[in-house]
Amino acid sequence: MLKTSTTNVVPEKKVEAKNKTKFRLTANDKYYASIFAGPSLFLLGLFTFYPMFRTLYISMFLTNTFGNTTLFVGLENYVKLVTSPDFVSSMWVTLVYVVGVTFFTIAMGLLLANLASQKLPGIAIFRTLYSVTMGVSVSVAAIFWLFIFNPSAGFFTLLTKLLHLPTVNWLSNPTMAMWAIIITTVWMHLGFVFLVFLGAIESVPTTLYEAADVEGVSKHYQFFHITLPMISPTLFFISTITIIGSFKSFGLIDLITKGGPTNATNMLVYRIYNDAFFGGNYAKSSAEAIILTIIIAFFTYLQFKFLEKKVNY
Amino acid sequence: MSKYKKFALPLIILLAILVVVFTGKAFSTKTAAAKDNRTEVVFWHEMGGPAEKSLMKVVDGFNKSQTKYRVVPKYQGSYDAAIQKILQTHGTSTSPAVFQAFDISAAQMMHSKFTTPVQKFIDADNFDVSKISPVARSFYSDKGKQQAMPFNTSQTVLYYNASLLEKYGITPPPVSPTYSDITRVAKEIYEKSNHQVKGMTVQIYGWLLEQAMANAGVSLTNNNDGHTGIPTKATINNKAAKEFFEWIRENQKNGDFISYGSGAMAGTNQTTSFLNGKLGIYMQSSASMSQLNKKNKNKLGITYFPHPDGQKANGVAIGGAALWISNDKPKDVQQGAFEFIKYSLKPEVQAQWQKDTGYLALNKDSQQTKILKDLYKKHPEARVPSQQLQEAVPNNFNSGILMEGMQKTRQIEQFAMESIYNGGDIVKALKDADKKIDENLTTTNRANGYH
Repeated sequence: MLKTSTTNVVPEKKVEAKNKTKFRLTANDKYYASIFAGPSLFLLGLFTFYPMFRTLYISMFLTNTFGNTTLFVGLENYVKLVTSPDFVSSMWVTLVYVVGVTFFTIAMGLLLANLASQKLPGIAIFRTLYSVTMGVSVSVAAIFWLFIFNPSAGFFTLLTKLLHLPTVNWLSNPTMAMWAIIITTVWMHLGFVFLVFLGAIESVPTTLYEAADVEGVSKHYQFFHITLPMISPTLFFISTITIIGSFKSFGLIDLITKGGPTNATNMLVYRIYNDAFFGGNYAKSSAEAIILTIIIAFFTYLQFKFLEKKVNY
Repeated sequence: MSKYKKFALPLIILLAILVVVFTGKAFSTKTAAAKDNRTEVVFWHEMGGPAEKSLMKVVDGFNKSQTKYRVVPKYQGSYDAAIQKILQTHGTSTSPAVFQAFDISAAQMMHSKFTTPVQKFIDADNFDVSKISPVARSFYSDKGKQQAMPFNTSQTVLYYNASLLEKYGITPPPVSPTYSDITRVAKEIYEKSNHQVKGMTVQIYGWLLEQAMANAGVSLTNNNDGHTGIPTKATINNKAAKEFFEWIRENQKNGDFISYGSGAMAGTNQTTSFLNGKLGIYMQSSASMSQLNKKNKNKLGITYFPHPDGQKANGVAIGGAALWISNDKPKDVQQGAFEFIKYSLKPEVQAQWQKDTGYLALNKDSQQTKILKDLYKKHPEARVPSQQLQEAVPNNFNSGILMEGMQKTRQIEQFAMESIYNGGDIVKALKDADKKIDENLTTTNRANGYH
């Protein structure tokens, strides 16, 4: 069974010339590879690649009441979407949301992690408190924040009344609704991000800080010139998953604003869901899904191209 | 090494999978096996919370009343989500024999041809439907033929805090008020409470806008709201809609109007404010009544849905949902589904249903039952929605909108309402809404081949 393949020698030689240690797959290797990778490839194909290509296919048709494709229209769905002010505003709204959530999540996460990394008695209490949102589910968070944003009995309303400030209509004013969703999402993400940052900051060698202290460098300078560069792989990881995660944000929007008011929080993912399962327009929502995929792929590419260069491994 | 050996591992995996699949199947068939020889009628419904409990009473009552069929109720989540489930499972073993589908999906269900028109069973059984509310029946019929049977039926009504009106010495609105009647009351509440109580709200909910048009005798689409042909154009930019929004705007200017937005909690916040005496007037389904009566410390006042000044109310369309019979099930199962529908329409069943939920009893004879007589003795205002339902003479404007894509249309209407409430131009918002609905209609009609 240990025989080497003799076909395709010519192109492989070139490779070997470049890279001497390159493995060549034998028939036996291929057999085992297919056994080990086969089941997961099969599942991936069935549940990931097939739906993906099916989505692409549907997006080029019109679908009838039952979601069946009836009329081939090519790129018409895409053209309609890109020229519709509603969809374009949805893209902007999503962008604002993603930038807002990513910025505040990382800033707050870093701040809290930096505070909690101090060696002080009782600091464990704060570490637990800051990471506690990790255990909160989306529905619980939504209900909790809905109480806070309630216009007649909410915490914020009571607070503004106490201070004799004008009441803010958190969920009926388009701008404030966006803030409400951003605040809630940041709060949700914070526990996890805090914990990851804390772990990263803890693992920075203390000798660096000791040397800096000897030099008499300020804490502020230490943070930006020691801590940040040293945790940059984590920072990169967190920013990538936060951006992708907030593009895909759905639960909080569905439970708090349902995309309103006046589509001010109608993010792409919510729009896709809405067009498919409320509007019954599967073609349109498939086209939207493809556009979202392209956008996320583009952002991920940008991050790997530009941000990764700045990462210290 | 044997050349068969390399097939051993995949074979073992395959066998393991097969064993799991088959034993799993054996278990599931065992649990699903019937306990007796009754024919099972699977019933999909969307009644959650307290209404589900009341619905279970109806189902249990039916199952106890005879020995041939057994209705198996299955909760399917929200009305909106259920529509897609019903359409997507048709023809499979999981599909229901009888299902509850809400008002605005009527056109979709009719065009799907997935159901057996109830008319067929009515004719075969010589079932007398004359006792069943004609406005409700006409909503679910196509050219005189009953497609589905209305079940949980509500009317939009206007609720006001009667105790508050008494406290400030305000004359209550008449039973069928005009817009200016309501403006007067709302303004007085706001002024006499020293701006502590808001006069009124109109929830950002497409249904209310549709009812305002129905009550003014104006249609939302061409072809008479789809009753005389497939709609091709929206006509929201009409006199009735404009008057409705001008009325709201007038109250906004007076300061007595409050909006609770359109978020997930808008409806709850509105109800809570009303119960806490922070809001004088709001409009909502009559199905809210049992909840309001249970929790209200104040006296509840109810009137018909308001109508424009200088004309008579045309009556509002019904809301709620109907029972449809799937045509992908054997004859005896379908017959069982119809038996259940017949049972659900009995005077006592409907009366108890109204008392429990606030949905209106559809059978005229229900009004004579002890259950409802007792209810009206305790809550005289509970009679008002039923009266509104009985007084309405069905016509194309108050029999619902037979248009596919009503769920999307509702969202477009709500968008228009929000932009007007936030100070946007009324005519522009209505024109925009027309344009968006037209686009959807064109796509839907093209995709379905309606020309």
